[in-house]
Amino acid sequence: MKDTPVGDFVPVDISEHDVVEAMKRIPGYIDITPGDFKEMYQTAYSLAIKRLFDSLTAGNIMSKSVLFVEQVMPLVEAAHLLAEKKISGGPVVNRDGRVVGVVSEKDFLKEIGFSETPSFMQIATNCLDSKSCMIGRLSNRTVGDIMTKPPITAGSEMTIDTISTLFAERKINRLPIIDAEGRPIGIVTRTDLAHSFHAMRERPKS
Amino acid sequence: MNYLQKMKGGGQSPPKVGSFEVLWSWIGSFLGIAAVALIHFKILDQTGLMMIIGSFGASAVLIYGAIRSPLAQPRNLLGGHILSAAIGVTAYQALGGQPWLAAALAVSTSIALMHLTKTLHPPGGATALIAVIGGDNVHNLGYLYVLVPAALGAIVMLIIALIVNNIPKNRKYPEFWF
Repeated sequence: MKDTPVGDFVPVDISEHDVVEAMKRIPGYIDITPGDFKEMYQTAYSLAIKRLFDSLTAGNIMSKSVLFVEQVMPLVEAAHLLAEKKISGGPVVNRDGRVVGVVSEKDFLKEIGFSETPSFMQIATNCLDSKSCMIGRLSNRTVGDIMTKPPITAGSEMTIDTISTLFAERKINRLPIIDAEGRPIGIVTRTDLAHSFHAMRERPKS
Repeated sequence: MNYLQKMKGGGQSPPKVGSFEVLWSWIGSFLGIAAVALIHFKILDQTGLMMIIGSFGASAVLIYGAIRSPLAQPRNLLGGHILSAAIGVTAYQALGGQPWLAAALAVSTSIALMHLTKTLHPPGGATALIAVIGGDNVHNLGYLYVLVPAALGAIVMLIIALIVNNIPKNRKYPEFWF
């Protein structure tokens, strides 16, 4: 996954020239310097963005029907479950129901001996050549053995601003949302995050 | 940015207004000053009262020439002149023996008070100063100076501003009242 430096995200910025042009189009003498207006615009703009980002939290955007697996579940069984539900991963809970890790396709692949994110063809050719296919390693092991731990989790009050930063910095794709006792109450995936940005644009303009 | 670098400026100056704006600024200020000057010279001249003071020339710049400015709004126009006039008269009556001090205090205190009351109106500084340096005609008025010419003159100029500034389609006054 390519890292996107935060600095590259500066939106189309307003210039003093834009301000001067706007002042020419608005009739009347406007009692402010273009520089001051620009500064005011930038400050107000960042406040608006912050308000927008702060207005949506994990609780608003998470998928509530979260599928989680138990730490002691055999890997083969977990693989079947993920396949059946057509999901690529989820939180792992211990006997008390608390989230203790996250398991995803990445953990399975790592266990079979692939690093990072292999393509389908890499996996296929590797396994066609049965000698080097380590998929057999998955039997007799449990979810707890391969899961990523400690899990990166969040409370339902975390804002989408913080969540997107977390996704980028920790290079994760899903974030289990837990209650005060550490039990899973939902999950926010990159897809949920993308939908939330879409939903923001749909909001009625005031 | 260090102290000397700040003096360079470096920003851009705002664009020139169109001739339409120039024309309406001229019409408004002509009528506004004409109104207070007519009252001054044709009615009050014999009575020892006055209606026109220098600071109204400055107010005209704002309320007919820069009508969108926060400094030009009714709250600022009326509040600025009235409060500053009161400060000016007080400064003269308390410290008239030291005119330099009375003048400085009148202006600086007016600015502070106008800031605190959100009524900053640059001509208010002149109104306060005139209360100190305006000579016997002004001094004899005492606190009446606050009402006439300061308050009444500002009201007359405001009425003209309301009438004239709203005639052109894309001019509007005021932005806010208080």
